[in-house]
Amino acid sequence: MTELGQIDLRSLAAGHKRTWDTFVVAASPLINAVVRRALSSYRLSEDDVMDAAQDVFVRLCANDFRLLKTYDPARAGLSTWLAVVSRSAAVDFARRRRQATAPIDDVPESVLAVEDRHVEKLKIPEGLLTERQTLILKCLYDEERDVAEVAQLLKIDAQTVRSTHHKALLRLREHFKEEAP
Amino acid sequence: MSTERIPSSDRALWQSLATDRPVAPEAVSDMDFAAWLEGRLPEATAARIEAAVANDPAMRQAALELAEILGTTLPVPPARMTVRAQALVGFEAERQSPRQSPRQTWLAGLFPAFGRGFALHRGAMAGMAVVIAVAGFVLGGGLGETYVEGKYASTRSQTVPKPFGRDTINDLNDLFTDNT
Repeated sequence: MTELGQIDLRSLAAGHKRTWDTFVVAASPLINAVVRRALSSYRLSEDDVMDAAQDVFVRLCANDFRLLKTYDPARAGLSTWLAVVSRSAAVDFARRRRQATAPIDDVPESVLAVEDRHVEKLKIPEGLLTERQTLILKCLYDEERDVAEVAQLLKIDAQTVRSTHHKALLRLREHFKEEAP
Repeated sequence: MSTERIPSSDRALWQSLATDRPVAPEAVSDMDFAAWLEGRLPEATAARIEAAVANDPAMRQAALELAEILGTTLPVPPARMTVRAQALVGFEAERQSPRQSPRQTWLAGLFPAFGRGFALHRGAMAGMAVVIAVAGFVLGGGLGETYVEGKYASTRSQTVPKPFGRDTINDLNDLFTDNT
């Protein structure tokens, strides 16, 4: 089977049937996986999943392959770009269906928790944490992901995630300790 | 504020902080997002995307999901999905049909079949039909002419007086003989 990276993009954007067919075979597993995952929190039927996947392909070839022509191989791999486009199309599809529901077990506790309005939260001063430190803390605590998942996301090793997390918390503790009277 | 408000556990500390910035999430293009997911962006640009992802729960969710999917072996999709998608783009023979001349365009307007391929085949069929019709007309006309000629000839034989022959001369002789 042809890999996505082997697809002749010029021929694909020119609308050649054979190239399109090859592209569909190569891209279907990824689009299928992304669409299913994106729609997993919506109670949609198998037919809806099929329609959402078809919607992705329609977007790619619509208006003389306009969307496909925006892809720049110098900036990212076709698989990654296709995954981003597919997810965004699937979310749009689900929003159109307006049946957004999530099993309660899948929702992080931090989202379900009722906020205590009487406790004033401390504000993190601008520049105290780097963007990466903030992102790592949010992934670990707000999204309840483990270190390996965050490492996979940021393309760094797990030890780097741990040390970045540790440094970020040290900074926070030092800052708020100093602020305390 | 007192130090007692600083929780001992890291999680509790983080949850006691106002971590959401009151700014609208920055728009990130699909191409930039994909490049960031692959770790291809320079530090400054990556920081901009990381700020956007940190500030927008939907983007964070998307990033984590996509990173997970892109790092795993994918299941085989249903055949129906592939077949439907392949049908979206037509066949090359149809797409690469030569540009039509103004006359062909006019014909296509008059007869839609001319604009949908098979024009040569249909033209040949139409030509054969014309030949058959003309041949039929000629044959039919020929028979008609023969019939008219035959009918005209029979009518003429009844109306044209007989030329003077031996019988007529004999009749005249008899008439004059009787009178004398």
